[in-house]
Amino acid sequence: MAKVIVAHGEILSKNGDINIARLKNIVIKSLRSLFDNLALKEVLLQIFPRPGKVGVKINTIAGKKLSTRPEVALTLSQILAENHPGLSRIIIWDRTNRELKKAGYRLQQRGKIQVFGTDTKGVGYESKLTMTTNIGSLFSHIQSKFIHHSLSLAILKDHGLAGVTAGLKNYFGAIHNPNKYHDQNCDPFVAELCTTPPIKAKHRLTIIDALLVQFHRGPSYHPRWASRENKLIFSLDPVAADHVGWQIIDQLRRRAGLPSLAEENRPPRYLHTAEALGLGHTSTNMEILEVEG
Amino acid sequence: MKRREFLKATPCLALFGPRALPEICRDLDALEIPPQLSKVEARYYQKLPDKEIECQLCPRQCRLGNKERGYCGVRENSEGTYYTLVYGKACSVHVDPIEKKPFFHFYPGQITLSLATAGCNVNCKFCQNWEISQVRPEQVHHFDFPPRMVVDTAKKYDCPIIAYTYTEPVVFYEYMVDTAKLGRRAGLKSVVVTGGHINPEPLEELISVVEAIKVDLKSFTQDFYDQYVRGKLQPVLEAIKKIAASPIWLEIVYLVIPTLNDSVKEIKNLSRWIKAEVGPDVPLHFSRFHPMYLLRNLPPTPISTLERAHQIAREEGLNYVYIGNVPGHQAESTYCPRCGTLLIKRWGFEVSKINLKDGKCPQCQTPIPGIWD
Repeated sequence: MAKVIVAHGEILSKNGDINIARLKNIVIKSLRSLFDNLALKEVLLQIFPRPGKVGVKINTIAGKKLSTRPEVALTLSQILAENHPGLSRIIIWDRTNRELKKAGYRLQQRGKIQVFGTDTKGVGYESKLTMTTNIGSLFSHIQSKFIHHSLSLAILKDHGLAGVTAGLKNYFGAIHNPNKYHDQNCDPFVAELCTTPPIKAKHRLTIIDALLVQFHRGPSYHPRWASRENKLIFSLDPVAADHVGWQIIDQLRRRAGLPSLAEENRPPRYLHTAEALGLGHTSTNMEILEVEG
Repeated sequence: MKRREFLKATPCLALFGPRALPEICRDLDALEIPPQLSKVEARYYQKLPDKEIECQLCPRQCRLGNKERGYCGVRENSEGTYYTLVYGKACSVHVDPIEKKPFFHFYPGQITLSLATAGCNVNCKFCQNWEISQVRPEQVHHFDFPPRMVVDTAKKYDCPIIAYTYTEPVVFYEYMVDTAKLGRRAGLKSVVVTGGHINPEPLEELISVVEAIKVDLKSFTQDFYDQYVRGKLQPVLEAIKKIAASPIWLEIVYLVIPTLNDSVKEIKNLSRWIKAEVGPDVPLHFSRFHPMYLLRNLPPTPISTLERAHQIAREEGLNYVYIGNVPGHQAESTYCPRCGTLLIKRWGFEVSKINLKDGKCPQCQTPIPGIWD
């Protein structure tokens, strides 16, 4: 059964500040809740049983207002670095350094925690195609070569085509041609991409930053339809995590008097495809735990 | 693939010898700048509320929020204004014979300055240039090559024709149109090699500034377009009809892929449609497929399959049917449809003999459609 932790606490203030202490507390509490309150070090050994490098794939396409927050990515990385001696490097990454910088990240290519984009000199994309059933893509060397474990630290947003963009779709930023994956409401393309070896063999954990949720007119930022939810979603099951994200978006839409994603004929169908492809679970077989912090 | 690798990988070096192209390469190397993208406002789009836009350049009509790019990957909505990111940002520049495009009835034997930017509005599983067509502009080595420089370079290297080719010129529409206008003022012709996935209004403007368009008709079924192209057939057919009805020159290429689009029925339907809707005199090229990109599990097209397609099209009444990508095949050459006289002898991309007199067959005086002088 898939377990999803929905953590809630006053992390993001009205003026946009992040309460780091509370954030850290909630992240630790949530990670432990995934494993019935096992000690943190034990939890991390469960998630990352082998030593190696971790990639923290974030989403920075929409600029500072609506990207995975640096505070979240850095706090998480710090927790990993301090509590799992086998993790030699933690790379926070996305497609481009420009987007990372615009989202508030400071680039760093030295030390245990590093931050850089695929367009960094000497990084780049594979030259051999990785095939899905429908499309072929070149993977970022970060995803294919640099890391052993992958963590999708996504942001939760409405998406005009896909319905929802969260943990699975975040991996569009790991390939060279995401624009070719948007037909047919991104279905089956999101799911198929996540079955490719560079993702499926390395994905360990999904965390969705739902501190501020764009529930309508996404994926770009529109303050009118963005809600400060102060939630973080954690799951080892990438499909279940996204499913919970979808429910949050639909709740916010209902509250705002908007039709549901299904009523707008853009539910994230790719989640059912992902389930059919064995990537995880949707509404059935799911346990949702709430964590307050 | 880097530009220099691309240049090396193409056969035209062998045709033109070692001098001309390396010189161009040196010139272009001097122009290289860090890969800055252009930010020139796109044409043919509609602004929508909440900083959204709808692109109206091609039948996809991508509807995009702020910061999003179209399916082509080279046009981006920034704060509600739509921009082309590849204006003047060539990723491939080459001197090619016009036969390589291929145009067989348009200034045979002439050379073209051929160029492309990154991007494409479809995703053909058999694309020959996927390293540049299926990438975003920042992922490919490109350099600043604005319209004025294109025209000057074409003149410098005695290319009377500029060809927009290799990827999908529709996605670099603004760059192409402005260059073609400038080229025309300088006495240069412009030709376009396209999949024909373009809306009628921009096509109309394009027709007014170029001299010839070659359309790659990928198949004659929507099912094939769904599975192997990720595009629509009908808009391509409409584009072909529109070009055929215009004063500019049209040729059609059909890449014959074993088992996928080579049935007798499909070739018959295609030939009948061309004859009825476009006319019997439009050159139709059946090109040989080679395993490429995402279609590596099929063999190259058997010559016999191409010959069968050629025969069907001729029997259906098309007058100028060619076989392509088979150097030395007799169906590379042009024959008088009335008396069978050899009019233009070709070997690969090379023209060895032109036997036309005032655009007519020297034997029976049949006018041969085309742009000849």
